[in-house]
Amino acid sequence: MHDSDDTGRTRRRFLRAAAAAGVIGVAGCNTPGEGGDGTGTATEEATDTGNGGGTDDPEQIGSGRSPFGDREVGGVTIEEMPDLEGELTVYSGRGEALIGELVGFIEDQYPDFTVRPLYNTAAELVSQIETEGQNSPADVFYSVNAGALGTLAERGRTQTLPQEVLEFVPSNFRDPDGEWIGTSGRARSIPYNTDTFSASDIPEDIMAFPDTDAFEGEIGWTPTYSSFQAFVTAMRILEGEAATREWLNGMQDLGVSTYGDEFQISRAVADGEISVGLANHYYIQRVLARRSNAPLSTAFTRNDAGAIFNVAGACVLDTASDSTLASNFVRHLLSAEAQDYFARSTFEYPLVPAVDPIGRLPPIDELNPPEDLDLSQLADLEETISLLRETGAL
Amino acid sequence: MATEHQSADDGADQGNQLPLGPSIAAAAVSAAVLLPVLWLLRVGFGVGFDSAVALLTRPTTLEVFVNSALLVALTTTACVAIGVPLAYLTVRTDLPFRRFWTIAVSLPLVIPSYVGAFAFVSAFGPQGGFQRLLAPLGVERLPEIYGLEGTVLILTLYTYPYVYITARASLKSMDTTLIDAARTLEHDRWETFRRVTVPQIRPAVAAGALLSALYVLADFGTPSIMRYDVFTRVIFVEFGTFGRDTAVLLSLQLVAVTVFILWLESRVRGEERTTAGGRSRALVPLGTWRYPAMVPVAAVAGLALVVPVAILVSWLVATGATANQSLAFEWSYALNSVTVSTAAAAVAVVAGIPVAYLSARHGGRLPDAFERISYIGYAVPGVVLGLALVFFGSAYATPIYQTLYLLVFAYVIRFLPQSVGSLRASFLSVDPSLPEAARTLGQTSAGAFRYVTLPLVAPGLFGGAALVFLTTMKELPATLLLRPSGFTTLVTHIWTAYESGYFGQAAIPALVLLFVSGLSMLVILRQEGYDVK
Repeated sequence: MHDSDDTGRTRRRFLRAAAAAGVIGVAGCNTPGEGGDGTGTATEEATDTGNGGGTDDPEQIGSGRSPFGDREVGGVTIEEMPDLEGELTVYSGRGEALIGELVGFIEDQYPDFTVRPLYNTAAELVSQIETEGQNSPADVFYSVNAGALGTLAERGRTQTLPQEVLEFVPSNFRDPDGEWIGTSGRARSIPYNTDTFSASDIPEDIMAFPDTDAFEGEIGWTPTYSSFQAFVTAMRILEGEAATREWLNGMQDLGVSTYGDEFQISRAVADGEISVGLANHYYIQRVLARRSNAPLSTAFTRNDAGAIFNVAGACVLDTASDSTLASNFVRHLLSAEAQDYFARSTFEYPLVPAVDPIGRLPPIDELNPPEDLDLSQLADLEETISLLRETGAL
Repeated sequence: MATEHQSADDGADQGNQLPLGPSIAAAAVSAAVLLPVLWLLRVGFGVGFDSAVALLTRPTTLEVFVNSALLVALTTTACVAIGVPLAYLTVRTDLPFRRFWTIAVSLPLVIPSYVGAFAFVSAFGPQGGFQRLLAPLGVERLPEIYGLEGTVLILTLYTYPYVYITARASLKSMDTTLIDAARTLEHDRWETFRRVTVPQIRPAVAAGALLSALYVLADFGTPSIMRYDVFTRVIFVEFGTFGRDTAVLLSLQLVAVTVFILWLESRVRGEERTTAGGRSRALVPLGTWRYPAMVPVAAVAGLALVVPVAILVSWLVATGATANQSLAFEWSYALNSVTVSTAAAAVAVVAGIPVAYLSARHGGRLPDAFERISYIGYAVPGVVLGLALVFFGSAYATPIYQTLYLLVFAYVIRFLPQSVGSLRASFLSVDPSLPEAARTLGQTSAGAFRYVTLPLVAPGLFGGAALVFLTTMKELPATLLLRPSGFTTLVTHIWTAYESGYFGQAAIPALVLLFVSGLSMLVILRQEGYDVK
C-alpha cells in the first residue's frame, strides 16, 4: 500500500527486500556507477533474477511479497479473489513470452482451472473473432492496446464487466461503459541518445519537434506500428487535422527515418544510427535491461499526443460460455501478483495504484498525459490512415 | 491415386478423352482450392462499390503496383540465375559432396523470410554488426540495404530453392543419352546445353520460377522490414487497423495480379511436350574446376543460412542472462512441425497427382483450368486464406475447427501448386510410349501407371513433397489462425520470441528448424534414390 512518488523510497524498499532474500550481493555489485537513475540497474538485475527462479518459491504466494521477484506489493492478492474453476478460451494478442508464465501461474493456483490460450497479434485476433461471428469459441480477449478492445466493443462483441472488477483501476484506464478494462499501461515516450543530446535538448511539446533543427536527419518513427498510429490519432483529436498534417509533413522535411517497430527504433537510438525517436516507454527499458551501459535514456513530452498513456487490457466476449468465470479471470489480471508481474517482466506501468513500476522510470503520477482524452477514441484509425497516406508517411 | 486409373479410358494417353477417375479427383481438388475464394468474394463485395473504386484507384495503387512488378520480375530472374546453375552443378557434374550441397542449398527455403530480412538488416544495416566489425578499419557506414535492392537480395536468397528443387528433379529424370547424341553431332558443351538440356528442363524451371514469383508477390514480412512499399504492405496496414474487409478486397487485387502472372506463364511455357526416358549416365567432369566450383555453391548457402543463424546466435549469447522462462525450448515443437509438414506433403502430393497428370498428359481446356486453379490458394496471402478457413471451419466444420485436420487442409490448399508444378514437369518428361508399351504387354492402365509412369516421375514426386514439406515447416500466418490451442511448432515458437523482442531466443528453434529440415531432406532424397540416379 505505498504510493511511491519518491524513487529513493522505492530503492530503499528494494534493498531491504533484497537483503532479506540474500541477493544483496548482486545488487551491490551492479549499483555503483549507475547512481544517477535512482532505481536503475539494481532493480533491473532483480528483474533478471526474478524471471529466472522466483516462481520456485511457493511460500511467497499470497504473503504480499511478489512471487516473481523480491519486493513487497500492495493490492488484492489472488488468495483474496473468487476461485476459478472450469475451462476458459483466451484469445491473447499479448505474446506467450510475455504472459505465458503469468497464465501458468494463475492456472497453478486452482486444481480445476484450465486456460486454452490462442496467441496471435491483437489485430488478427479481432479479425478472427469477427470472422467466427457467433460461432467463436473465445471467452476472453486480451489485447495489447485499447484500440482493439474498443473496436470489439463498438462492434457489439463484448459484455459489460462487473462493477467490482472495474473498480480496480482509475476510471481513465477503462472503458466508460465498462466493456473493457486496462490491466497494464504503456506511455508514449522519446528515446534519445545521451551522447548526442541531454534531457533539456528534447522539447516538452511534441508539436515543436518538426521545428527542432537538431533533429534533422536524426529522428525515427514507425508509421505502420499500431502505437504510433494511436499517437497520430490522439494528435488529430487534440490538435485538429490541419495541425497534424503540418506535423507529419514537417517531420518528413526533417528527413525522418522509417522503422518497422519501436524496439528497432530504441536499438537504433542506442547504436547511434539515429539520435532520437518516438517509442513506447518499455522498449527503451528492454534495450537497457540487456545493455545497461547503452547511451540511451527516456524523455516525455507534456499534456500532448506525444505523452498519451495507452493500456493493454481485457474484455469478456459476447460468446463467452461462462461470463462469471471469464470476468473473474480478468479480475485475476488485476491481482497484486499479476500487476507486479507486468512491471517486472514487461516494464509496463501497473494500473492498480498500489503497485509501482520497475526500471529507470518516473512513477505513473509524474507522467503528464493529455487530459480529457478517452482511450477508446484511439480506435478510430481510419482517418489517421488516410492522413498518413495523403502526407506520404505511409 | 493409381486405382483411379482402373476406370480410365483406353485412349487415355492419346490425349482425346479424359479418364474419368483422375478427372473427378482433379475436379474435387479444384473445388477445395476455390472454397476460400468464395469467402473472399463475399467479403470483398460487402465493402461496397464506391469505397472499392476509391480504394483501387487512389494514387498510391499505381506506385505500389509498379513496385510489386519490379520486385517480382527482378527476384524471379535472379532465382533462375542462381537456381538453375546450382541444380546443374549438383546433379549433372562430379562436384564433390553433392548430397551435402543438395541439402544445404535447399535449406534456405525453411528460413522464414522475415527472419532472414531481420538478420540481414541487423548484420548489414547502416550501422549493424558488420559495420561494427569493420569500424576499426575506418568504415563508418555501409551502403543502404533497405529498399528495392535489399528486398530483391533477401527474397532471392530465400526463394531460389523453388527453382533449384524443381530444376533438379527435372535434370535427374532427364534422358542424358540425348546429350551424348548431340555431342556426337559435334555440338560443343554450351550448344548442347542450350539446344538439348534447356528445352527439357524448361517446364520445370518455369514451374519453379512461377512459385518464386507468386511467393514474392504474397510475402508480408520482408518488404515491411526492408521498407519497400508493395501490395502486401498495404494489406498489412489494413489488417493492423481492423479493416478486415478492406484487406480482403485488396487481397482480391492480389489474386487478380496472380491470375495475370499465371496467364503470362502459360504463354511463356510454350511448346513443352518434350519427352524422354529416364536413362541417365555419366556425369560431366569438372576437371580442375571440381573443387573451385564448390565456392559459389557454398557462398549462396552460406549467405542464406549462416547470416541469420550467426545473428540469432550472437543475440542469444548477448542476452543469455535475461533468458525468458516461457520461451524455453521443447522438443515437442520439432515433433509437431515435422508431423504436420509430413502430413501436408503427403496429402499435397496425392492431391496433386491427378491434377498434374491430366494437365501434362492430356492438356486441353479443363485439365489446364484445374492446373491453373491449384495456384489460387498460393496467391492468397496466408492470413487471408487462414481467415477464410476460420469462417468455413467455425461455421460449417465445428468438429475439426482448431484441430490439426483443418490446419493440414489449409497447408495443402496453400502449397498444392508446389507439388503440382513439380509433378507436372516430371509427367511431361515421361515418354508416353513407355506406359503404352506396358499396356501392350498386358498391364492395366493403373498397372502401367504404377509400374512405369510413377517410378519415372519419382524425382518430381519427391521434389514436390520436399517443397511442400519445407514450406510447411516455416508457414506462420495460417498456423497462428488455425492451430489447436497450445499447439506450438518451431516457427510459431520463433515468432513468439521474435514478436516479444526476445530475438536471441529464436536462435535455438531456428537451429533446430534447420537441423530437422536437413535431416528430413536426407530422408526424402533417399526415397528418391531408389530410382533414376
